[in-house]
Amino acid sequence: MNLLEIFFCRRVVVSLTVASMALAVCVGAAAQSSPSVHLDAEGLAPRPIEQLTGTAIVRAYTLAWQDLARTLESGRTERLGDNFVGFAKDRLLRRLQEQSKTGLHVRISDRGHSLKGIFYSTDGTAMQLVDHAQLEIQMFDGDKLIDSQTEPHDYVVLMTPGADRWYVRDLEEVSPKSF
Amino acid sequence: MRLQQKTLALAALVSFALFVASIPRVEAAEAHAPAVVEAGTSFAIPVEGSGKATFYLVGPDHVLKQAIKLPAQVQIHSDDVRSAGRYRVIVCDQSCVSSTIEVKAAEPAHLSFFLHPSRVPVSTRNSIDATAFVFDRFFNLYLAPATVDFRVAPANGAGFARQSTAHDGVTSVRIDSTPHEGQVRVTAVLGTVQEARVVQQVASEACSLRLRAQTSGDRVILETDPVRDCSGNALPDGTIVSFTKIDREGKTTIDTPIKKGFASTQITVAGPARIGVACGVVLGNELTVNGRL
Repeated sequence: MNLLEIFFCRRVVVSLTVASMALAVCVGAAAQSSPSVHLDAEGLAPRPIEQLTGTAIVRAYTLAWQDLARTLESGRTERLGDNFVGFAKDRLLRRLQEQSKTGLHVRISDRGHSLKGIFYSTDGTAMQLVDHAQLEIQMFDGDKLIDSQTEPHDYVVLMTPGADRWYVRDLEEVSPKSF
Repeated sequence: MRLQQKTLALAALVSFALFVASIPRVEAAEAHAPAVVEAGTSFAIPVEGSGKATFYLVGPDHVLKQAIKLPAQVQIHSDDVRSAGRYRVIVCDQSCVSSTIEVKAAEPAHLSFFLHPSRVPVSTRNSIDATAFVFDRFFNLYLAPATVDFRVAPANGAGFARQSTAHDGVTSVRIDSTPHEGQVRVTAVLGTVQEARVVQQVASEACSLRLRAQTSGDRVILETDPVRDCSGNALPDGTIVSFTKIDREGKTTIDTPIKKGFASTQITVAGPARIGVACGVVLGNELTVNGRL
């Protein structure tokens, strides 16, 4: 939540007449705040990671999950930024289109990601990571809650660098036993 | 009077029991989804229960929703499970029940192969980096171990192969460059899948750099012998050779590119002079003109 949002929330909360709306706005703002992403690059091979690269990876992955959560809830493909490319973007776009057709939407409460780097190519053009994510995922058909998941989710992530940042090129959920 | 009341009460009780018995019995829906399936495989999910329900299959790139009448065998087509990942199976009647299917990658069908760098000096250890990502036919990462052969075929000389096992969909090896300049073709092979890339091998550092001088008064024409590396490969045109002259006016350096295998230049000297030649980190011979300095 940025300062403006905090200020806005406080201003509205004091107004009793719109107290319920204020709560909704604050919750909405909190839901869209950045998820916490922690990167463990200890086991990264064959190339070691530079500190700036680690920072860039965390920033890009954080933005990607913000995008993912926002678009899966709204179902609006145009809200999907350019943090996803390649297979990851293609799959996500297909999912969004089919969600819209069937009237489903998904709400993700993101409680943080523990990223572990497992492969960084010698030429620096690809990095593979595993994400142990604490998510609460609720699925709705219209207004009806049809599914709720609270268990941790594990993902295999492939990220590649662009001109000025890193992109998520592949994001596949795997069973927790896989890693 | 009392008997009549009792009879009426009994009749009401029997009517209620008959009414309850006539209500259709509704069993809660229950789907028996497989825990793991291979991407692109058709299968059926038996769903127990009675009455009407809605079936959902929600995957990474696909959402299936259909009305079903319980009990049912819901057919999942190969197209419904192309992407690897975890799919939620949800069946809703009055309430909803859900389970998870893990869709694993199918057999390897694509290799995404990177060879780095594109140009490399000859006879250099671990100078070529080969990285291969293993995908199935739907471009899901193939996470199970898979052995990839890297076959190296130089334009001149014998080829060789290196094996490496891909874990979690990726493998990487470092290969020595071969002794002769020219194109080297590296092919990553996994079963019937092949992907080739080419790296250009160029001459390494100069070796035995020799300088000749032709003097005409105070003018000196300098020329090298053909500039080659230690394996006999000619250094590419454009490689810079530096000539250094020391005479009574001081030290002067002239950088000149190799043209057609040679480097040459013309200088003027003030009296006796010492002239040397260098290319990269390699020093050549030194000449003295017009007597000792």
